Amino acid sequence: MPTTTSSSSSAASSSGNRQADVFSRLASSDPEVKLKALREVKNQIIGNRTKKQSFLKLGAVPAIASALSECDNSSILVQSAAALGSFACGFEAGVQAVIDAGAFPRLLRLLTSSDEKVVDAGARSLRMIFQSNQAPKYDFLQEKNMEFLFSLLNSENENVSGLGASIIAHACGTTVEQQLLCDAGVLEKLVILLDGSLSQREACLESLATVLKSNPEAVSRFVGLEAGRYLSSVTELTKDRYPRTRLLSCLCLVVIYNTSPSYFLNMGTKSSLVTTLLELLNDPGQSGNEAALGLSSLIAEKEDLQKLAYEANAIKNIVDILKTGSELHPKRLQGLFLSLAELCSKLEDCRCSFLSLEVLDLLVNALRHKNADVRTAACICFKNAARSVKNLSAGRFTTDHVMLPLVQLLHDPSSAVQVAVLGALSNIVLDFSSPKSTFIEYGGIKQLIELSKSMDPNARCSALRALRNLMFLADNKRKELFYSDVKAQGFASLISDPEPTVQEQALALLRNLVDGCINSIEFVFDEDGLILDSVARQLRKAPQAQMAIQGMYVLTNVASGTELHKEAVMQQLFPQPQAESNNFMLKFLQSHESQLRSATVWTVINLISPSSPGALDRHVKLRNEGIIPQLKNMVNDACLDVKIRIRTVLSQSMSFGDN
Amino acid sequence: MATSKKVITREEWEKKLNAVKLRKEDMNTLVMNFLVTEGFVEAADKFQRESGTKRILFFLLCDFHLCLVKVSFFLNGETAEIDLATITDRMAVKKAVQNGNVEDAIEKVNDLNPEILDTNPELFFHLQQQRLIELIRQGKTDEALEFAQEELAPRGEENQAFLQELEKTVALLVFEDASNCPVKDLLDVSHRLKTASEVNAAILTSQSHEKDPKLPSLLKMLIWAQNQLDEKAVYPHINDLSTGLLQDPSE
Repeated sequence: MPTTTSSSSSAASSSGNRQADVFSRLASSDPEVKLKALREVKNQIIGNRTKKQSFLKLGAVPAIASALSECDNSSILVQSAAALGSFACGFEAGVQAVIDAGAFPRLLRLLTSSDEKVVDAGARSLRMIFQSNQAPKYDFLQEKNMEFLFSLLNSENENVSGLGASIIAHACGTTVEQQLLCDAGVLEKLVILLDGSLSQREACLESLATVLKSNPEAVSRFVGLEAGRYLSSVTELTKDRYPRTRLLSCLCLVVIYNTSPSYFLNMGTKSSLVTTLLELLNDPGQSGNEAALGLSSLIAEKEDLQKLAYEANAIKNIVDILKTGSELHPKRLQGLFLSLAELCSKLEDCRCSFLSLEVLDLLVNALRHKNADVRTAACICFKNAARSVKNLSAGRFTTDHVMLPLVQLLHDPSSAVQVAVLGALSNIVLDFSSPKSTFIEYGGIKQLIELSKSMDPNARCSALRALRNLMFLADNKRKELFYSDVKAQGFASLISDPEPTVQEQALALLRNLVDGCINSIEFVFDEDGLILDSVARQLRKAPQAQMAIQGMYVLTNVASGTELHKEAVMQQLFPQPQAESNNFMLKFLQSHESQLRSATVWTVINLISPSSPGALDRHVKLRNEGIIPQLKNMVNDACLDVKIRIRTVLSQSMSFGDN
Repeated sequence: MATSKKVITREEWEKKLNAVKLRKEDMNTLVMNFLVTEGFVEAADKFQRESGTKRILFFLLCDFHLCLVKVSFFLNGETAEIDLATITDRMAVKKAVQNGNVEDAIEKVNDLNPEILDTNPELFFHLQQQRLIELIRQGKTDEALEFAQEELAPRGEENQAFLQELEKTVALLVFEDASNCPVKDLLDVSHRLKTASEVNAAILTSQSHEKDPKLPSLLKMLIWAQNQLDEKAVYPHINDLSTGLLQDPSE
């Protein structure tokens, strides 16, 4: 800008003076002067975020709110309401100020005015407030609130009925509220708005999405209205001329699809929903932001839709948008990266296609974005892209350029980001093609161990998962890096962590640690067998199948060692004295989970492997505890893997002279 | 040339056309839609009274039997009487912009519906831009500079997409003879008309009217349909839309 400092400061001060002047006139007792001042403020702030901020600082909002309550003068009421509405429009600090100034109940009162213009102004302002997260909670459970809501929906005035729909769209949160609203007939009222004006249609679509979300009963009620007429209407609206209508109707359909996919058997509808959202991604405004998030929500976990999107060139389109260079809104970035992540989640073609487009720089930049949601989305994108073994083993993810920012995120202030980057690293460390690990060179193991002690259970679990992957088929050198920072006491407490998912990952990590050469097994015997005790204790507590599987494989691996090791396992399995109800090995053999049966049989195989001296005695013990007879009953186990292991055991058994 | 094309004589053609049934009400609605959208208040008022036209729902179907081209066209709209007062307000805004009284136009728009400019950053920017252009046109350089700094620069900060346009507009201030500089188009009256059109469209949208009248779209459809049919047949064309006269194929 061609200015000098002196002229800019004079401009600033003169505008500041003008603002202060208008502000003082707001407090005038002369209604003419006050009205003029209100109009001036209103006209200055509409569309102008900077002015909203500066008037806010001056304290204009309380001044205007008091004008609202003092007079019966319609013109003053209209201008005050309009000004307050503008402060609240898309400006969170403004909404807060309006509410703090006590304007909310006063605005509500305007709705009962006999002057249509006053009603309009009040309704518009209230709608702005309800579009914000700061809006007061609307208690649908109170009967008078429901009555009021329905009186709004029944109104002829389009701003008022739109307000009713807006309240629903932004305040309805729980299943109970959805149910209450449906039972009171809200769906029948809302669908009338579909045939109304543009703003009524849009308000209706937004509120429908809120009422139907994750509620199959509500969805079926909606679809049942006039034999599916309104579902067709919403579907038609995805081809409407106005982009925002197209977007809102798409989002509504996404909600319905995610809740009850059976209404979308027609491939054509699915396909056009995907392509419409893809087109909307190019919209520069708010619609484009929401379209990106909508798309990620639509294709999440759905391989068929991911395929449709891929065939519609989604990957190239999204990457092109990301590469445009202009600064995109964080919500849009989040949505775009999440969409890419979903596309890469199951389809190898997508991953290869994505990675071939020179996207690593894009992703690395996103890792450094100031918004935590964007960083998280970029990490998830990395995680899914790294599922491509081909690209992983080509070393794409283990360069310093990529690894360094990822490792730095382990210290991120947001725990959601930490969990997401741990997920990415868990996959990336599975690159077995390179002899060294860049991650380890960056001190990754130490950081993972730190995170395994985090307050956030998700972080603990994810950190352990990453360690588990890191220790898979690891050599002693790598295991030493782990042991240097983790002692038996600390590890035992992870095995007994309050969260079952953490316990499971800890056991899986342990399984990998004790796998390998016989020396690896010693860890479980440190500090008087503390860890082995912990494992057995967990197994005795009737754990979930996944945890039990890992635990049994730990015992299997320990039992693959020396005589001492095998005896120690026997001690844990059958401590004396023991009630029969504690014979967890027997219970596991009877489990519905084939993997658990398999893991348990493996333990037996290792315990009675004929090459070791004490095998016979152990065999006798196992027979007495009912294990061998149980195994004999499982000769025709439904799972092939189990069946084969049983054969091995039985042939071992026969070598001891047992039939 | 295209001997494989079917030839239709004028007599045959006119017979087919006469077989198509159109309703008077539908044509009235089309005219009403045009008058309202383009803002001819008095004409719309008179026409409404003389024709009793209320509904704006129109359905046109032409069936070209030969090439089975079905041309269908739906017009959606409200089923209520048009409030002519809102047309007057809208026209006042449009006129103000066309005359270069942008500040006045902004106030009028805000009186009509305060949401329009609050939710349309691009439109608001263009109006502010037009204000700056008017100040420059009037030779009020200091005021223009101040306005650019105070009002337009923040828009550029709030939204990077506007920076390029902003730079173009500010460039007007740099040149001694603005009417001969590279960006002189901005000073042209046509730019006022462009801005006026933008505001008009935004108001129409907020009032749930269609942004464009239907009549031009129908005529475009006619021309398209003729082009399509040209590939398959030789028949009398409408070459002059203003007269609508059939002209024999020139062969």
